[in-house]
Amino acid sequence: MPVYITSTGCFLPGPPINSEQVENILGAVNGRASFLRVQIQKANKIKTRHYAIDENQQTTHSNVEMATNAAEQCLDRAFISREQIGMLAVASTQGDYPAPGMASMVQAELELPSIEIISTHGICSSSTMALKAAWNSLRLKEHDAALVVSSELASRMLKKQRYEAATESTFAEKKIDFNTEFLRWMLSDGAGALLLQNKPSPKGLSLRIDWMKGYSHAHAFPTCMSVGSSGKIGETKTWQDYDSYAEAERQGALLLRQDVRLLDNIVRMGVDGYLRLVEEGINKPSEVDHFLCHYSSHHFKNKILEMLEAAGVAIPQERWWTNLYTRGNTGAASMFIMIDEFMRSSDVQVKEGDRILCFVPESGRFNTTYFHLTVVSA
Amino acid sequence: MSDGEIVIREGPVDEEDENIETISLNPHAQVCLQQLLRVWLGFERDLSTVPLIRRIDLGTYTVDDHLCFLRNLRQQVIEGSRWIARTASSFDSEYSEIRSRIIQHAMDEHKDYELIEKDYIASGGDLEDIQGMSKNVGSEALHGFLMYRSSRPNPIDLLGAMWIIEGLGEKMASSWAERIQELTGLGEDSTRFMAYHGHNDEDHMQLFYEMLEVVCISQKSVDIIVKTAKVVARLYRLQLEEIEYEIK
Repeated sequence: MPVYITSTGCFLPGPPINSEQVENILGAVNGRASFLRVQIQKANKIKTRHYAIDENQQTTHSNVEMATNAAEQCLDRAFISREQIGMLAVASTQGDYPAPGMASMVQAELELPSIEIISTHGICSSSTMALKAAWNSLRLKEHDAALVVSSELASRMLKKQRYEAATESTFAEKKIDFNTEFLRWMLSDGAGALLLQNKPSPKGLSLRIDWMKGYSHAHAFPTCMSVGSSGKIGETKTWQDYDSYAEAERQGALLLRQDVRLLDNIVRMGVDGYLRLVEEGINKPSEVDHFLCHYSSHHFKNKILEMLEAAGVAIPQERWWTNLYTRGNTGAASMFIMIDEFMRSSDVQVKEGDRILCFVPESGRFNTTYFHLTVVSA
Repeated sequence: MSDGEIVIREGPVDEEDENIETISLNPHAQVCLQQLLRVWLGFERDLSTVPLIRRIDLGTYTVDDHLCFLRNLRQQVIEGSRWIARTASSFDSEYSEIRSRIIQHAMDEHKDYELIEKDYIASGGDLEDIQGMSKNVGSEALHGFLMYRSSRPNPIDLLGAMWIIEGLGEKMASSWAERIQELTGLGEDSTRFMAYHGHNDEDHMQLFYEMLEVVCISQKSVDIIVKTAKVVARLYRLQLEEIEYEIK
């Protein structure tokens, strides 16, 4: 049973924020400007992004509100009524509530009656997991239509108060704590939504999902991006093991952290999965018209890319497309926000028959996910 | 804007004007390189599960770990120049160009173990200890396999072995040498052997591609090169796993 993405939507809270303004929104920790902001922003090359908190670090949109707004836009653009939707899959790194699952909350906001739901938990790749669950449900003819939503509200974890409260953390101890600050200047907020159906949209272009694959390497590598540990060498406690949440926060166990030294492994494992799919005859790089990658291409500007070129399986730069630099890195939501804009953008002529390879790597504990779409018309 | 000099446009990603040299490999060599890349990436990933290497990742690697690592590494490096020299001598005149390159390579590296001994002393070890060390179980297996393969006529599959061992040399230099100093408080003189292998890496890759282009001209050659790379990767990891038995 072929399955199609027949509508898309996205929601980006507030105005675009340029790099200089970011610290006004997230706040200067203890009133001091960051030593690392400019360096990290230069490296990630993100020019503008959006936040669901204001200059006083007050939340302007909840995560569920953002997810709902993206979903509403997607449904408004669809050629079916919302009663036909049989399943809602929602992905986020952290919902507004640790429990219940975020899909319950989004369902309530959307007022979708008696549907099947799934909340996927993870980081960037959780959106691919939600998409795959919905895709499989339609393939099994369980439903005729499914809504897949991914939303991220990272800024609540990145606001100055979080770091100021971490008085006994590595961040407080070290003059420069790159691992703890790295994601502060990297992530931002937003939501994206995709509608899946068992037939193409009667008007305009749809995207047939040809295949979806994922390879996780958590068995081999230590954790690279996380919340829940103090990040101190040898520390085995996680946030709920402390006597109080206040103590966990003081120790820095609630700060979002990236082990930057391990980060290259996600590029390597991304290439490994890509080559595995070539070897299995699933991925045919020469036939890919558009490559949508959650990572910015300059991360691949290294020897591995040169080797892929030598090996005859690189995708030429002109076929890469991203909106990461203007919409920001919104984690799990990024790929859906990218697909939405890609299909509407005037700077690329998407036409029937075009083949699109999407790649969503997750550095958390090294999960790499890939899916392939073909542009079809009614 | 703080990042005024960076030009970013909406849509197709910015292409930076880097001079990536185009290497034109034949289709068999291309497939071989694809598979060798996967063997390497899998090897590199699985190294992260080796307890000693995991401690480098987790930040719990100690001076004792380093001494133990060097003691075990020395045996493999001594034997390394032997199989490379044997490989050279097993090529007939049809491969004379390859043969001269491999002889040169053996020349370059055959006294590298002396550098390891110096690192060992600088790390606080005694020369007699490292010189008195015998090959661990993994080193025995690795060396045995390499000598067997290199003794066969025109052993082109040893290119797969070089791919893994040279790749590891580069990884030691780029990922381990500085990190080990940082974790142990030892000086630069404790990791000279590891750091040294990062040099001339670009040239090594170019040479590798040239050799691959010459020898990898059939599916059969792809298969034996990749197979040897896989065996060497597994035995090399065994060698590193066996270090733990000495620690215990």
